[in-house]
Amino acid sequence: MSESLSSALTAIAPAQISIALAISALLFGLGLIGFLCRRNMIIMFLCTELMFQGAALAMIAFARLRMDVSGQVFVIFILTVAAAEAALALGLVVLLYRRKETLNSEVWSELGES
Amino acid sequence: MTALATQSHAIPHAVMAPELAWVGMAMLLPLLSSVVCALCGALRVKSKLPAIVTAISLASSFAIILRAYSAYTGPVDVPIFEWMSFEWGRGGSFHSFTANCALYIDALTLYWMLFVTGLGTLITIYASEYMEGDRGAGYCRFFFAISIFLFAMSALVLGDNLAMLYLGWEGVGLASYLLIGYNYDRPSAVAAAKKAFIMNRIGDLGLALGIFMLWANYGTIQYSELFVAMSSGGQTAVDWHVSAIPFLLMLGAFGKSAQIPLFTWLPDAMEGPTPVSALIHAATMVTAGVYLIARLYPFFELHPQALATVAWIGGGTALVAATIGMAQYDIKRVFAYSTISQLGYMFLGLGVGTTFGACYHTLTHAFFKALLFLAAGAIMHGFAGQLDLRKLSGLRHIPGWRIVSWTMFVGCLWLAAFPFTAAFFSKDAILLQALSSDRADFRALGWLGLLTAALTAYYTFRVWFRVCAGPVHFEAGTEAPHDHGAHHDADHARQKGHDRHSAAVHAAFHPHAPRWAINGVLIVLAIGSLVVGVPAYKAVFLHEDNWAQQMIAHSSAVQGAMLSNDHAHSEGHAPTMLGMDVHTGLTVVGSSAAIGGILVAWFFHLHSRRRADQVRGELLRRWWLGWIPTAMEHKWYVDEVYHVTFRSTMWIGAQILNFADRHFLDAFVVDGVAKIPLALGRVFRPLYSGALQGYAVTMAGGVALVLAWASWVWLRGAQ
Amino acid sequence: MALIWISIALPVIAAIAVALGPASRARTTALIGSLLSLAALTLFAWEFPAWTSGAHFPTGEAAQWVKGAGVSASVGFDTVSLLLALLTAFLMPLCVLGSYSAITDRVKEYYGWFLVLGSSILLAFAARDAILFYIGYEFTLVPMTLIVAIYGGPDRRVAAIKMFLYTFLGSMFMLAALLYLGWEHRIASGSWNFDIDALTATAVRLPTSSQYWLFAALMVGFAVKVPLFPLHTWLPLAHDQAPTAGSVILASALLKLGTYGNYRFALPMAPAGGAELMCVVAVLSIIAIIYASLICWVQTDAKKLIAYSSISHLGLCMLGLFALNPMGAEGAVFYMVNHGLSTGALFLCIGMFYERYHTKDTDVLGGLAKRMPVWASFMVFFTLASIGLPGLNGFVGEFLCLGGTFMAEHDAQTGYPGVLGPWYAIVAGLGLIFAAMYLLILLGKIVWGPLREPTAHATHSTHDSSHATPHGIQLAAHSSHEPVLPVDLSVREIAVLTPLAVACLWLGLQPTPMLDAISPCTERLLVHYPAQVERVMAEHAASLTGSDQSPSSQPTSNSLNSQ
Repeated sequence: MSESLSSALTAIAPAQISIALAISALLFGLGLIGFLCRRNMIIMFLCTELMFQGAALAMIAFARLRMDVSGQVFVIFILTVAAAEAALALGLVVLLYRRKETLNSEVWSELGES
Repeated sequence: MTALATQSHAIPHAVMAPELAWVGMAMLLPLLSSVVCALCGALRVKSKLPAIVTAISLASSFAIILRAYSAYTGPVDVPIFEWMSFEWGRGGSFHSFTANCALYIDALTLYWMLFVTGLGTLITIYASEYMEGDRGAGYCRFFFAISIFLFAMSALVLGDNLAMLYLGWEGVGLASYLLIGYNYDRPSAVAAAKKAFIMNRIGDLGLALGIFMLWANYGTIQYSELFVAMSSGGQTAVDWHVSAIPFLLMLGAFGKSAQIPLFTWLPDAMEGPTPVSALIHAATMVTAGVYLIARLYPFFELHPQALATVAWIGGGTALVAATIGMAQYDIKRVFAYSTISQLGYMFLGLGVGTTFGACYHTLTHAFFKALLFLAAGAIMHGFAGQLDLRKLSGLRHIPGWRIVSWTMFVGCLWLAAFPFTAAFFSKDAILLQALSSDRADFRALGWLGLLTAALTAYYTFRVWFRVCAGPVHFEAGTEAPHDHGAHHDADHARQKGHDRHSAAVHAAFHPHAPRWAINGVLIVLAIGSLVVGVPAYKAVFLHEDNWAQQMIAHSSAVQGAMLSNDHAHSEGHAPTMLGMDVHTGLTVVGSSAAIGGILVAWFFHLHSRRRADQVRGELLRRWWLGWIPTAMEHKWYVDEVYHVTFRSTMWIGAQILNFADRHFLDAFVVDGVAKIPLALGRVFRPLYSGALQGYAVTMAGGVALVLAWASWVWLRGAQ
Repeated sequence: MALIWISIALPVIAAIAVALGPASRARTTALIGSLLSLAALTLFAWEFPAWTSGAHFPTGEAAQWVKGAGVSASVGFDTVSLLLALLTAFLMPLCVLGSYSAITDRVKEYYGWFLVLGSSILLAFAARDAILFYIGYEFTLVPMTLIVAIYGGPDRRVAAIKMFLYTFLGSMFMLAALLYLGWEHRIASGSWNFDIDALTATAVRLPTSSQYWLFAALMVGFAVKVPLFPLHTWLPLAHDQAPTAGSVILASALLKLGTYGNYRFALPMAPAGGAELMCVVAVLSIIAIIYASLICWVQTDAKKLIAYSSISHLGLCMLGLFALNPMGAEGAVFYMVNHGLSTGALFLCIGMFYERYHTKDTDVLGGLAKRMPVWASFMVFFTLASIGLPGLNGFVGEFLCLGGTFMAEHDAQTGYPGVLGPWYAIVAGLGLIFAAMYLLILLGKIVWGPLREPTAHATHSTHDSSHATPHGIQLAAHSSHEPVLPVDLSVREIAVLTPLAVACLWLGLQPTPMLDAISPCTERLLVHYPAQVERVMAEHAASLTGSDQSPSSQPTSNSLNSQ
């Protein structure tokens, strides 16, 4: 299978994936900043999805660079799991919203040391 | 005398004599009777059984010692059983430690045991009547402790090694502790008992260290081997290890015999019942120090100043205690200070080099002092604890008190060293040696001793003239009449001196005269006091050997058994005193001191008692003299000084340490170390605030740090 | 070997039986279990062939327990460890019997853990393998902590945690030292082995610098347990808070693990280090003696007083051990056993009046001789034993320890040179005076003097007209399930104290058999020391004269081979 893939695609030069990596970094950075700065739990969740996608994009880029499909396999897994996770996480968010009538993440700090 | 001279300066060698093991029964019998007394206590015996058992066992001990004395030929070592012993390396001396339960019997041992067991028997008989108000648990406890005392004293005297001596030494301390604190619900008795034990412990430490020192230098602590090592080794006093031995042993002796630095416990020990004061704190236990020095006399010559120190301490104690005794009002306290003073004489004798004088004085003193204490006890017993000599008068005119008065008179004459009493000769032996010495300081001590003799005669007869002579007058003590149960020996008046209420309370008080046991023992003791003078009379008038001198000459204390004038004459220069031969001079001066003291006492305390108070008032009014009687009455404030310098400073130190231990070492250092992880945790605690983003920031920061470090390494590698 | 394992296992089996059985039978089961364990050990001691040889028995090689790591489950005794194990086994039934009325809540756990504690102490004394020893040594902490933390006084949790952490921290050093030794053994012989004799053989060949640190690490571990002066602060608190039987075992057996550790590990394994550091340990011991006894003097809590007196007494024991001559070491071993007897008995006595009056404060309680004459007799007896009255057990050990210190001079004729000597003995001897002082003050307060009782109690008991009233003290009114105790000691309590009193008297009057049995062991212990001490003294002399050719850099094996 890898042989057919490698015959279908030709390896590209490292410089050519830099754009893909840059976009990936941008996505990850945006997600991180959003996650750190926003307090709305749904937005924070979206930001984590953004970070996922940044990572996934980097994986695809490297898979293309190295001509190794395992990176793409990973991405498919990530997408699948992320979908399941989204269902779960949104359910949790709804649950938390019901408890305290707010989506602000700061009201949940029981894990704190003091 | 010639027989003695041939033996001088030869320490007798002991032979092994296992067949004499029955002498150990003299030690074992009191132990058995103590077990019986303890059993009586457990079985709640209410009869006089403990006293009877104790008296019989002590009398048997006395008989055993008498038998051993009659069969005595020379020093023997009697093994009984192994107590502490082990060895290492090649074994032998310096490679083994042996302290067995064994006896060393020589003349000194027998000499001591004779009066210890004899007086022990008599005083037990006396106590059987004296203590009868306490029959029951207290009675059993009393005779249990008396038996323990006799056992320990026998171990002290009979033991063949210094560990046995130490066993006895501490054992008599224990008995003394239990008996002083006999009336344990009285805080003063408890305090006195504690004080006695602790002050003795100070001396005991010196003794223990002295024992170690002897072992370190001679490799053994058995007398027979020690004396052999000593006489063959020829140790010279260059090494401090060797020369420290006498000083360490001396400390032990001073503690037990209540000499100057450690004497304050003995007057307080009068809290105990009077038979105890007579037996333990006058006649026997306190002479253990004299025994120790006499027994180890050769080792006291290891340092040239050792015996001089003993002499000075003894002479000083004699004088100081006599001055205090002059100003006390409590009869027992007067006698307690006189005991200290007489013990001082004995140490003076040992120090100036006459073990004979010291040991002979021990013997005579044991009899007359026991007599005096027992007479005082009879008075106290009859007058409900009254002991204040200002509140008793004319006892010899009261029916039933004649025997007490006149036996007490005998005791007083002996204590005052009235001419041609036994104590006169024994004191004479000591002072003669001091006054005919080559050393000026010893001669000065001799004069100090004569001064003390005059003071002694004064304060002794002050008591007798006040209490037994004069018009009949008495006030009862504050104690409940003793058929109401436990009777207490102390009166509270003794503590502070002025209890004016008692007279009114006991308007119809009838003194309770002593019965046969007390009177009988007093008479026997009075006769005994006369009898112990016989050797001296024979020596003086018939020019025979003094029995006591012969006994001492057959022991390790032989160096001091000679009378000094024999030495002096042999060396060719006869010392003089006031232009007379020392012997004559001393007889004259000593007699006049005694008679003078008695006359002064007669004048102030019988002839015109008001004058005594006038003189006292006169003295007190002058600022430059007034402090002297006050200070004498307050025992020269020695207790107070000790309290401030030692006890208080140590108490404060202990409080500081206690505080430091809890709040510095524990709370600050230990808990402080334990708080280091806590403090570290507190530094990082803000990162774990519970806010979701907080954790994210931490994570991002961590990643950033790792990245920064990795890139720094990479960059450095690239260069 | 089988008997040893039986005596170690019996308490555990009894503990399981206690856990499975009903609470009402817990104490009887515990008593039977501990008595059987004592019986098994006594049987072993009866047939013990090495009383006078100083060797270990049994000698055979045990099966490897952890394959490849060199840990074997081998147990065996020499005289010293057998005596200490016998002491532990002897005290266990007495402690169980002594707890009958004191423990009324959570009875099953108490006796269960108590039995486990006993068997882990026995394991530590019996172990011939360093790791096995460590397991026994450390495991004692678990039941002890639980006993203090559940059944103790008001501050029991703090006390338990402090005791656990402090001693645990100390034993980390010891574990590190033991593992290091195992590693050295592997380098030397190619395989891991934690057999104590093998480790000792390896350790004495190490260079001086290694031995120095080895000794220091072992010493820190055991010094916490002893406890030696600056590391002692956990003990008073633990004693103060522990229940009576816990205090007894803590003072009598657990602290002995520290001194035993010095005897078994620190001293024989690192003679070069020991010779270098003996002066430090001796000075710390002397400080402990004086410091602790002064603190005793101002204590008003009877249990704390005895706790501090333990520190002082064990300071003397350590001093004797570090005099490094037969007299001192002999005295120290003897003292270990006797301190266990007399201090354990004192804790039991204090526990007995605490059960009646619920206070140990000597300021509110006093003059109990009037009310409890039998108890008072025992209390006086054990106090005298603790003071070191000749004829009782305490004296022999004290006298020999002090004597050993005294003889430990550089020119001693005993064949064992030392660096201590008379001055050390004089300062340490002050401890004897202080001991008499604080213990007699304690006696004067609680036994003698006018009767003083806590006010809450007096209202109940003033109606008791005589000493021997048949009614119990009325304290039962406070809580319904508290047992009713007689005013004076019950038969059960007398039965607890009598064996101890007999042992104290017997060892005081007949110490020679035990001294004879100990002396080959102490000779083995000290076999390397005369040469090492002389080396250290020569170095000091050389450094004092300014010579820089000190022989410290060369390995010590030369001097050892010349022995």
